[in-house]
Amino acid sequence: MGTVHARSMDPLPMHGRDMAVHPDDMIEVQEAEQETKQEILENKDVVVQHVNIEGLGRTKEDLLGHEISEVFDAKNLIDVMKKSHIARQKLLRLGIFKEVEVVIDTSEGADALPNGLDVTFEVTEMKRLTGSYNTMVGNNEGSMVLGVKLPNVFGRAEKLTFQFSYGTKETSYGLSFFKPQLGNFERNLTLNLYKVTGQFPWSSLKETDRGISTELSFPLWRTNHTLKWEGVWRELSCLARSASFAVREESGHTLKSALSHTMSIDTRNSAIFPKKGALLRINQELAGYTAGDASFLKEDFELQVNRQLVWDSVLSASLWGGCLFPIGGSPSSIADRFYLGGPTSVRGFGMYSIGPQSEGDYLGGEAYWAGGLHLYTPLPFRPGRGGFGDLFRTHFFLNAGNLCNLNYGEGQKAHLQKLVECLRWSYGAGIVLRLGNIARLELNYCIPMGVQSGDRICDGVQFGAGIRFL
Amino acid sequence: MSLAAEAFVSQIAAAEPWPENATLYQPLREDQILLSDCASSLAVQAYLRMCNLPVQVSCRPNAEYMSPSGKVPFVHVGNQVVSELGPIVQFTKAKGHSLSDGLDDVQRAEMKAYMELVNNMLLTAELYIQWCDDNTAAEISRPRYSSPYSWPLNHILAYQKQWEVRRKMTAIGWAGKNLEQVYEDVSQCCQALSQRLGTQPYFFNKQPTELDALVFGHLFTILTTRLTSDELSEKVKSYSNLLAFCRRIEQSYFEDSQAGSTSRGFSKGPSLI
Repeated sequence: MGTVHARSMDPLPMHGRDMAVHPDDMIEVQEAEQETKQEILENKDVVVQHVNIEGLGRTKEDLLGHEISEVFDAKNLIDVMKKSHIARQKLLRLGIFKEVEVVIDTSEGADALPNGLDVTFEVTEMKRLTGSYNTMVGNNEGSMVLGVKLPNVFGRAEKLTFQFSYGTKETSYGLSFFKPQLGNFERNLTLNLYKVTGQFPWSSLKETDRGISTELSFPLWRTNHTLKWEGVWRELSCLARSASFAVREESGHTLKSALSHTMSIDTRNSAIFPKKGALLRINQELAGYTAGDASFLKEDFELQVNRQLVWDSVLSASLWGGCLFPIGGSPSSIADRFYLGGPTSVRGFGMYSIGPQSEGDYLGGEAYWAGGLHLYTPLPFRPGRGGFGDLFRTHFFLNAGNLCNLNYGEGQKAHLQKLVECLRWSYGAGIVLRLGNIARLELNYCIPMGVQSGDRICDGVQFGAGIRFL
Repeated sequence: MSLAAEAFVSQIAAAEPWPENATLYQPLREDQILLSDCASSLAVQAYLRMCNLPVQVSCRPNAEYMSPSGKVPFVHVGNQVVSELGPIVQFTKAKGHSLSDGLDDVQRAEMKAYMELVNNMLLTAELYIQWCDDNTAAEISRPRYSSPYSWPLNHILAYQKQWEVRRKMTAIGWAGKNLEQVYEDVSQCCQALSQRLGTQPYFFNKQPTELDALVFGHLFTILTTRLTSDELSEKVKSYSNLLAFCRRIEQSYFEDSQAGSTSRGFSKGPSLI
């Protein structure tokens, strides 16, 4: 606390506590303008002589140089203010400072120019260890979530997080280490170690995953890419004595070692109620060539397009699809297949209750597609406008989708035909509530159509909560 | 399911006849199955043959995890899944097939006592030799148990199973025993069985019962399995009436089967190495 680090465009190496010397070339450029003695600096050319960061403790200097370097390029006061603001945002997004304040002042000292400015960022570092404690209530179960976070572990914005969830039905925990590239925060590496238990009553299946994964994220032009390797030890077992034999046959242990790549472009203005923009996410996963016994190639994509219409209403169209190709002759595992249906995908149907099933347990499918068309409008008569009422929208929707297994000997045309026949679709209307910036709640009245034998429907009122909706 | 629901379901099951496609599931015969599981599976197969109920044997690497109780073998009959000899005997009794109907109460109690003896002595000795004897565990049990899985899962599962069995041995007080004492226990158990059998063809004179199936399963597997040492099978071989008993059951009930270890004579039986 209280250590002062000064920076400038000096190409000489930094010396910690020394006062940096401003570069000689700056003096030559500004000499011509020194005769004016105006006090008003607005729109007058200025030069940024020093940029200081005060309040650094364990953060290393080289991390911050890149974030604040652009401030030196500012040529007039308005520019300085804009660039300082951007630099402040950049410093905050590193996730290591609780608070960043910017102070712009005229230069002082022996080497001060008449139009020189000093910009100081006063930062408050986050504590070394922060903890959090939440309780969660889900379907007939409750759990306590304990989180421990160490931001900025080694001084270069690395973050170590440990989360532990203990509930009436299951226990899960995970350890995660995040390291951004020096000078380029958007390129980062994450290492995860986790154990997660999931219960899937629609398939009478219980799955315990113990795994390790490494992820590399980087932006490329306008897209975001993530490369990931994951090794998971999966243990499947029946949730109840009455599970169908098809699910019982899948019980046991498997090891999956998979490489995956995700590309996403998101131009929407918001993740929850976007007014414009589009999202495209394409993901592929190849399992099996790096050890393990699960062997497949999986592709899936997600597309959403939004457009604003008259009177604050928004038309939104989305399309999801995916395909799983088992490699090497062994059949696909129930844990890798796709599932469809429920309040977060094709509304009007029970949770993941569309498609191939055996004695009431849904087995998932190797190929699927789902589409939705929505019209969002503000609540009728706009109660609570400007405040609480803005969190709600009414929405009218049309959802359709299909899920099936493909027999890969049949050829392309037969596949397309299979995906189109026995189409399930539904329509209806409801109210949507936004929760923060991540999740939403929906209460809909749905009318399912095209129901095939074996599907479980939920016609009438259906409630849904989640992060990702069709 | 609650007890009442289970009783209700077995009432329903009792009404249906034994189907043609009943299947028995066990671990892979060539590479995976261990002595104790092979013995249990053979006992169930012998029992079903004695009852004249057809059953197909299907080998799965995850049979142990498929089973509702975690133990092999288990049978899939209609849409019911039943595991282990005891429950299977009950299940067939509910369907009207039974081998011990002709026994009176005293004999039935005796039969239960001997079955308990086999389960507590022979089966536990088999588990001890497989998992608590370091030689056998390292050379036979762990490699075979983990053969269907890839690295590193194979090591994790094999050690997990070993720890589980060792914990069980500690719980029942066998952890303090050494190999010699275990062989001695096996010998005593065989002596008791031999004395009860005497010169009769089966334990309860003319007709085989579930006890015969159980004893045959264990003794035949011990005789035909090659372990790191021959001491176990030597202990059994020293009782000639037990040898004759095994041969008799093999000839009566298994001679017609082409597949499986039982069709080869047990003097040069299959090796489980």
